[in-house]
Amino acid sequence: MRVVVCLKQVIDPLTPASTLALDRNEKKIRAGVTAPPVINGFDEQGLEAALRLRETNKDIEIICLAAGERFSNDVMKRSLAVGADQLILVQDPSLDTWDPYPIAAALAAAIRQIGGADLVICGRQGSDWDNALTPYILADLVELPLLTLAKSVTVADGKRVEIERVLADGSMRMNAQLPALVTVTSELGALRMPTVSARLAATRKQPRQFALAELGTAVVPGHAPEVVDLAIPVTGRSCTFIDAADGPSAGVRLAETLLQAGAIRLGGER
Amino acid sequence: MTGILIVAEVDAGELRPEFWELVTVARAMSATLSGGISIAVIGAKVDAAARQTAGIGEVHVIEDDRLADPWPEAHAAALIQLSGELAPQMVIAPRTILGAEMAARLAVRCRWQLVQDVTQIEATADGGLQGVRPVSGGAVAATIRAGAGPWVVVPRPRAFAPAEAGTGAESIAPLRHSFAPPALATACETPKRIAVEGISIDRAKTVIAGGGGLCGPEPFTLLREIADLVGGAVGASRVAVDSGWVQSALQVGLTGKTIAPDLYIAVGISGAIQHLIGCSSSQVIVAVNNDASAPIFGVANYGVVGDWKEVMPAFRDALAGRTA
Ligand SMILES: Cc1cc2nc3c(=O)[nH]c(=O)nc-3n(C[C@H](O)[C@H](O)[C@H](O)COP(=O)(O)OP(=O)(O)OC[C@H]3O[C@@H](n4cnc5c(N)ncnc54)[C@H](O)[C@@H]3O)c2cc1C
Ligand SMILES: Nc1ncnc2c1ncn2[C@@H]1O[C@H](COP(=O)(O)O)[C@@H](O)[C@H]1O
Repeated sequence: MRVVVCLKQVIDPLTPASTLALDRNEKKIRAGVTAPPVINGFDEQGLEAALRLRETNKDIEIICLAAGERFSNDVMKRSLAVGADQLILVQDPSLDTWDPYPIAAALAAAIRQIGGADLVICGRQGSDWDNALTPYILADLVELPLLTLAKSVTVADGKRVEIERVLADGSMRMNAQLPALVTVTSELGALRMPTVSARLAATRKQPRQFALAELGTAVVPGHAPEVVDLAIPVTGRSCTFIDAADGPSAGVRLAETLLQAGAIRLGGER
Repeated sequence: MTGILIVAEVDAGELRPEFWELVTVARAMSATLSGGISIAVIGAKVDAAARQTAGIGEVHVIEDDRLADPWPEAHAAALIQLSGELAPQMVIAPRTILGAEMAARLAVRCRWQLVQDVTQIEATADGGLQGVRPVSGGAVAATIRAGAGPWVVVPRPRAFAPAEAGTGAESIAPLRHSFAPPALATACETPKRIAVEGISIDRAKTVIAGGGGLCGPEPFTLLREIADLVGGAVGASRVAVDSGWVQSALQVGLTGKTIAPDLYIAVGISGAIQHLIGCSSSQVIVAVNNDASAPIFGVANYGVVGDWKEVMPAFRDALAGRTA
């Protein structure tokens, strides 16, 4: 069984807004030069889901797939270090875009090129643009059933995928016949650490590079709105720090301050 | 032809309150879009909810047992069906787990432009739309422009004031459509719902939230005691949810809830941008954190630099003393 995990390389989402560089001509968000990119967090969790599947279904091949303008090999090869069998990088300048349609088209073409997949796993959203759209388009283009927001993923007798979907107030079991596409959410848990030997073995493995041209994707017309400007929003309030001799007196003083300011009404309405 | 179709989400028989924010957006947009406002009510047992929406516009109901659970593919199929029948210029859906997914599936299937998570939206002179939305977890605000419609618009929760409930415009009977989906490729079981203790964070006037600094589930009992004293709700950061200390319903932030209570108290929460986007519209923000450089203080009105284990019990006792 072949599992394709879609990995997006993104700016580290913990980069403070103040150090982001906005390219307002190109409409791109860039990190300060010193900050290395990361694999989108939810996508790492998608890879973890695939690795867990392989613990119970031995004959699973895990192929990681990324589309982008350029990649940090060190960052992307972390997928090989934790146990992915292959890493495929689809590279083209046009893939550095907020528009998920060309990206999904590239991913779909790559999946076709390698002969298809039984299960495609994506993250719930990219932390760069927060679009949460690529998996919908990809599922539409490759005509796969789509199950979203999985906190667990299992495969029954190689035929059906079952997930536990996170809801606002609980969860719901869902399933679909394979081949299918699943998106995962953070409740799934973090990606495991690589073992030393696996990390060493991975340094010898190389990603496979695909140029967009050799995949022969048809140009998908842009259906996404266009970004016309970017700005760092001004946030911030001026904080009144509670001065007190120790923790407990600070707690008491905080209560008094909030009552006085009318921010707390005791026994207040719900 | 329909101008605007609002998706009225019904959850366990109840109209979700986000609906009234969508009405505000629809009314503003209807100044430039002809065809009036219609409502899509999709689910099983939706009569009461449909009646509540009747003052707003023409109500279209798809009621079917297969729509009893929040099964995304089925609900999206119903919305796609209605959109085919009514040919709206604009569909407005709530940014809930189900609503956002219905919007995405509709937009992708029909290749309509999805204008999602907008905090502002207006029609442009050339017949398009322009809006502003947060991206990168809220670190950046993007101005986006969409060409000619149809559009699927998903407003950011709390960014638009809720409209007043319909005032008795004589309610015309809803128009019923029978559900005729294509073959559905996914299946779902009835959800396991975990009842939230107390009021839910999106309705509470005061929310006291705990994060990674609480180091376990037990301290949430203390937060619960404080919440009870002030008639509020307990919330949490993603670290607390992912660690399994509290249920997902309590999560505030980018992939949790967006709330705007009168008072938000963050205890042991660092203030990552993805958390702040869910609470920064609160009227008053209080932070308790032992790290004076934690970003949460940058958005707080009141701050205590200290250990919650010392500060919060005294805070509770001070409030309890006042109520006794
Ligand atoms: C795409 C994406 C989506 C995300 N969505 C969300 C979301 O919806 N909601 C969300 O919350 N996060 C979200 N995050 C995660 C976010 O980036 C942070 O990792 C998270 O908010 C951190 O939670 P925290 O501040 O509670 O925990 P930590 O980062 O662990 O911080 C704990 C804080 O507690 C303080 N502390 C420690 N001990 C004490 C003590 N004894 N007394 C007082 N203070 C103490 C520390 O100084 C620290 O500031 C998302 C991230 C990404 C990339
Ligand atoms: N450029 C990309 N390369 C590989 N996977 C991607 C890419 N963009 C998006 N994805 C996948 O689609 C999910 C949602 O991304 P997005 O639609 O950008 O929010 C991500 O979590 C990834 O799994």
